[in-house]
Order: sequence, then structure tokens, then C-alpha cells
Amino acid sequence: MVKANFNTKEEITWCPGCSNFMILEAVKRALASLGLKKEEVVMTTGIGCHGKIFDYIDIGGVYGLHGRPIPVAIGIKLGNPKLKVLTFAGDGDTYNEGISHFIHACRYNSDITLIVHDNRAFSLTTGQATATSQEGYKTKVEPKGEFLKPLNPISLALSSGASFVARVNAKNIEHTSKVLEEAIRHKGFSYVEVLQDCLIFNLEINNLDKLMYKVENRDNKERARKLAEEWNYDSKTGKIPIGIFYQEKRKTLEEEF
Amino acid sequence: MRLNVLIGGKAGQGINKISEIVANVLTSLGYFTFNYRDYGSLIRGGHNFNVLSVSNKRVGSIESKLDGIVALDDLTIEKHKIELKKGGFVISYKGFENFERNLNVALSGALIKVLGIDKDLLLKELRKELNVPNAIEAAEKGYESEEKKFNFGKLKNKIKIMSGTEGVVQGFINSKADWYFAYPMTPATGVLHELGLRQNGKHKVFQAENEISVVNMALGCSFSGKRVMVGTSGGGFDLMSESLSFQGMSEIPLVVYLASRPGPGTGVPTYSTQSDLNVALRAGHGEFPRIVIAPGDPIECVEKVNEAFYLSERFKCLAIILSDKHLAESEFSSDRKPNKVLDVKIERDLPGQKIVRASSYEHDERRHTTEKPEVVKRMQEKRLEKYEKIKNFLQRNKVEMIKIYGNKNAKNLVIGWGSTKTVILDALDAIDKSIETRKGKWKFLQVLYLKPLSDEIKEEIEKVQEKKGRVIVVENNATGQLGRLIREKTGLKVEKRILKYDSRPFRSDELAEELRGMGK
Repeated sequence: MVKANFNTKEEITWCPGCSNFMILEAVKRALASLGLKKEEVVMTTGIGCHGKIFDYIDIGGVYGLHGRPIPVAIGIKLGNPKLKVLTFAGDGDTYNEGISHFIHACRYNSDITLIVHDNRAFSLTTGQATATSQEGYKTKVEPKGEFLKPLNPISLALSSGASFVARVNAKNIEHTSKVLEEAIRHKGFSYVEVLQDCLIFNLEINNLDKLMYKVENRDNKERARKLAEEWNYDSKTGKIPIGIFYQEKRKTLEEEF
Repeated sequence: MRLNVLIGGKAGQGINKISEIVANVLTSLGYFTFNYRDYGSLIRGGHNFNVLSVSNKRVGSIESKLDGIVALDDLTIEKHKIELKKGGFVISYKGFENFERNLNVALSGALIKVLGIDKDLLLKELRKELNVPNAIEAAEKGYESEEKKFNFGKLKNKIKIMSGTEGVVQGFINSKADWYFAYPMTPATGVLHELGLRQNGKHKVFQAENEISVVNMALGCSFSGKRVMVGTSGGGFDLMSESLSFQGMSEIPLVVYLASRPGPGTGVPTYSTQSDLNVALRAGHGEFPRIVIAPGDPIECVEKVNEAFYLSERFKCLAIILSDKHLAESEFSSDRKPNKVLDVKIERDLPGQKIVRASSYEHDERRHTTEKPEVVKRMQEKRLEKYEKIKNFLQRNKVEMIKIYGNKNAKNLVIGWGSTKTVILDALDAIDKSIETRKGKWKFLQVLYLKPLSDEIKEEIEKVQEKKGRVIVVENNATGQLGRLIREKTGLKVEKRILKYDSRPFRSDELAEELRGMGK
């Protein structure tokens, strides 16, 4: 079987060296490895640096509004359950502007895959703090530093009922693509939080790789919660688990209809 | 012959059931009925009432003076006796307290007797509706308690009762629509409930977490190749605005049902207004084409929802059906059948078969993001060209963008849109039978398409102005939004306007009085 080539000829406008290139590579590898045809995979994207990926993968989809790629994806899946639907979103998209959609998507268990490019800043609008920015992050809005504590999206997803929860490191392309494969294969709402560096704005969160270690947990929700709480998105020390935190079998939204 | 009967009580006492039973019996005899529902934003208690207007001729409004009152509590009599005509009847709950939940059925029986209708017709109707033995007993006791005052014999008309909500639902089903997405909001909720109850493998309903999700799910679902509608009222529509603009850029077909209630803000949630025309015409940033249609009765709801689906799919554009609480929730009656159904075909490339892309970013023909000025200009023009194409299509295919009633050569022209249609018709017939005979001093121009606007509107106004006649716009809002739209599009100023913005609909006798004073 000839595996589909997911490259496009569009000029890539991410900053040189941006970890979005690595996420793009991991996604293409996962799609190729799953042997999916281009026509059967559809993506939705939000608005932000991540969203540019819309032009860089040779599949169809909807380049939506900031904060709204999740409901668009659910609508596509309800309309045609045979499609594989991937949602690319940023941390600003998912945890700020569109957080209600994120929480409800976890509840609905629509069979889509959410990939959050979390560089912990609004980078395409020049670096303001998002809900996952660390306390003290200095921006033009908050020259004295962010005064709010960050949200822990992994804990939020678990308590909201997500049936597949994972976190990966963008720089580890091999691991990311393997987790993505599993997420796409999962029947139900799969959520993959991708920690990525931003070379221009929130520099403090870069190079946390040395704190990361791989975990794999499936149906033990208690353990999943504990793993999620190991790192609170604020500390620069301690350990950051990456890998699959939780997976359960549950009726999907589409199966209800 | 026309009667107006008010039926009042506390929320939860079942006054709607009385209107329903009596109206069903009357229409089976060939009478036209119109039922207005007046209720506050509460679930139990308070004071709710319906006014049921009955006539041997077409009726689509209520009058301010009552021929009778059916009271399920004392407050109803206290509040409304001032509206009762001299010699008008009152049917009281007193003596029927024992029937508890069947009080409404007993009073239906009493009202049927007063109207001089055979008891068998009542029992036949009740057996169709409720199979509770106590209900029949209550109805019989109610029937026996009153004396005949009128004589409603059999007429030849074949009449069907329908609310605007039911019309919208029928239009949705006729269009073979697949999905309805909504978040509950009065007065659009009726469609959500009705379609929810009628879900099957073909028509499906999903109540999403908010209106922003609703409209984005709808766009996704439509993109996947389905016929999709969303429904809401003003506040929810405001939340959808950004995504309407997204529709404009992505050109994914979308039908929106907007049922208005008075704003701004939470406003008067269970009452009616026509104050959302401006927002329907303009919501969403940027410049992009759209269609705005305002049906004026339930049969037109059936037809226009179908047209909205057809046009939205054909031109890949936004189509808004503009209704309001008065049209959505009043029960109209009609002897007219809807026009032939348009077949809504999906003939675009679909995901699953091809690589299909849609974008909220400016894009080139392949749907790849662009910021090049020449492409931006070209794509903007391509989208806006649709406006002319839509208008040409409507005119070429003789789609009813306006309707004219009454005497074509009349000196007095009334212009209106949406739910004021039927009360204007009733008022003009009350003045001089202009509509019925087409020989009076009046004609009525009903605007159905607010966008695009028909060129005939300008011609009609100029015709009347040349004769030194009178042009009057009638609207249920405070600023005369249709009048302003006409001025914007035609350059003509309509001098006279009758505006009502107390959240209640026009009464036909009061409107007739006002019009009479302005006419030539």
C-alpha cells in the first residue's frame, strides 16, 4: 500500500525553529502510520500560530474562528460519523476563549481528536498571558508579571469526563506521533495536550524537557488524577509526566443518534 | 360575524387546552379562529390569558373588546371585565372546583354550549385528545351548566390550525433538513421542542452548551454535507454574530431561525416585537451577502423556510428566517395550502469524497490563506456578486418577495412585514372590506424578502405618491426599521407610520381606527 503524502506546497510562516514544525511532522507521521486516506481525514483549526497548520497538511477541513474549532469538529462528526476529525487548537483557543466548548466536549464524548498546541502564551498577538501561563510571566499587559495562577488543563479534562487524556512534548516527535496514533484510534473524545516552546515570547517555559518523564496509565482514574497533579503548570522544578494519563470506553455522542 | 373570548387563569391551570379544544371544534365546523397567548415569565401562578377570536371569514388578530370571558380564577374577571362588551358573557370557575385538573375541560364544555354547538362534537374532540373518563364527565357537566347564546352552524370551509412554530417545523421537514441545533430561548424554543419530539433517523436535534457552539456545530455539520438550521432569539443571535461573519467568509450554507422578543437585554422575554430587523440585516463584521425573509403567517413559514434552505444551499449563503413571539406562538387558521416544495439538493464537493476546505481567513480559490491585495479584492467581489445573483434568481423565478392585497388602484397604501400581516388585513377589512372586495380605498403591501428587497416596493410607493395618496408603514417596533430600510434602498421617505412597542401585538379594531384617521 502506498502511504498518502500529506505535504503541501504552501509557504510556511512559523518562526524559524518553532516547535510547531515538530508537531506538524508528528501529525503527518501518525496519519501515514495509520494508513488513512486524505479524503477521510478532516481537520478544524482555531486561530493562532497553531492554526497555520491548516495550510500545511494536505487534507480538507475548516479553518474556523478563534476559540471555536471544537464545536465545528463535533458538527462535522455528527454530520458524517465516517470521517476522522482532528481539531488543532491553541492554549488561548482552548483554555481562554473557548473553554466552555472544551469542558462540554469532554462530557459529550464526540469521537474527535483535540490537539492543543500549548506554548503558554498568546504568541500570534505578541505574547499576552493565557490561562496556562505561569505566575510572574511578564507581558506588555502585565509588566509586573502575570498575577494569576495557571489552570491545570489535564485535571480539568479528567474531571470533565474526557475519555482519552494525554500530554506530550512537541520536541519528542517519535513519542508524540505514537500518542497521536492512539488518540486518533480511540473511539470517543481524545485530548492530547502538546507542551511546546515559544522562541519569541514566553521564554521561561522553554526547555522543560529535563523535567519530563514518560508514564502510561489507562483505566485507573485515581492514578490519572494524581499524575495530573504532579505538575501544576507553574513550577520550574519537580517532574512533568508525559504520555497517556487515562483512557476509558464510553458511548460516543454520535452513537446516541 | 366575529367573536372575541378571553380565557384567563393562573399559569399551570391549562388555559391553552381550552383554546385548543374550542378552536378545534370551531374549525371542524368551518370557522376561522385565531388564538393569542399572553403569559409572563413564570411557570406556576400569576395571570395568563388567551384571546380566541372566531369568525366565519379569515381572521388573524384579536380585538380590544370582548364578547365573553372564561375565568379560571377571580383575578381574570377583575382584570378584564372592563374590556367586556355590554351584554357579554362570563363563564366562571365557580361550581367546578371539584374537577381540579379537569377544570379547564369543564369550562371548555360550558363555552361550547354558549356558542350553541352540539355536545357530540365536543365529546368527539375530547376523545381524540384525552382518554380520561373524568374529563368527559367534566365536559358534560360544564356543557349542561350554561345556556346557548349563539348559533355556530356548519360552514363549508376546510380549515387547518397552525402556529408559526409548526409552520417552521413543517418547512424544515419539507426541505428534508437533517439537523437542528439550538440552545433554549423563548420564543424560538417551540421549534426546538417540536423537532425534538419529532426526531427520527432523518431529522435530528442537538442542544449544545451555548449559541456560539450551536452555530459553529451547525457550520461544521453543513460543511460535512447536511442541511442544517439553527434557532434562537435576539440574545442568542447576538452571540452567533461572529460566526455569521465566519459563514460569510467560508461560504458554508446556513439557515438561521430568529424569533424575536423585546430587547434590549433580557427585555420582555415572553412577549413580542419586530425590533430585530436591523440586527438580522446587519449582524456580523465585514461585508458579505445574506438573505433575510420574514413570513407573515404559518403557511408562509412553511414556504419561506423551504426557500431559505433552497437559496442558502444554491448560493452558499446565510439565510435568516425572521419571526417573533406573536407569529411563533399564536395559533392561526387557514384554508390555504402551501406552495410546491422546492427540492433542496446538495451538489457541492463533500469531505469523505474529496479534499474540501473552508476558511474564516481570506483565502484564494483553492481555500489557502492569502493576504495578497489582488486576491483579497477578487474574493471579496466574488462573494458580493452573489447578492445580485440571488436577486436575479428570485425575480426570474417569480419567488414571492412581496405580496399586494386589496384594491390595486387604492389611494392608501399600508406597508408592513412579518407578524403584522394578518392584523393589517383584518383592520383594512374592518374599515371598508378593502381586502375582501378589492374595491375599497386601501391596499396592503407585505414585504416578505427584507434582503434582497424587491424593486416593486419603490414602484408601488411612487404610484401612490403620484396620486397624492397616503403611504403608511405599520410596525411592532419603536424606530420604524422597515421604513428606514425602504428609505435607504429607494431614497423614498414614508411620511406616516404607526408604531407599537409596548411588547403587545396590535388589536385589529384599534389599528383600523388609527389607519382610518390617516387615510385619504
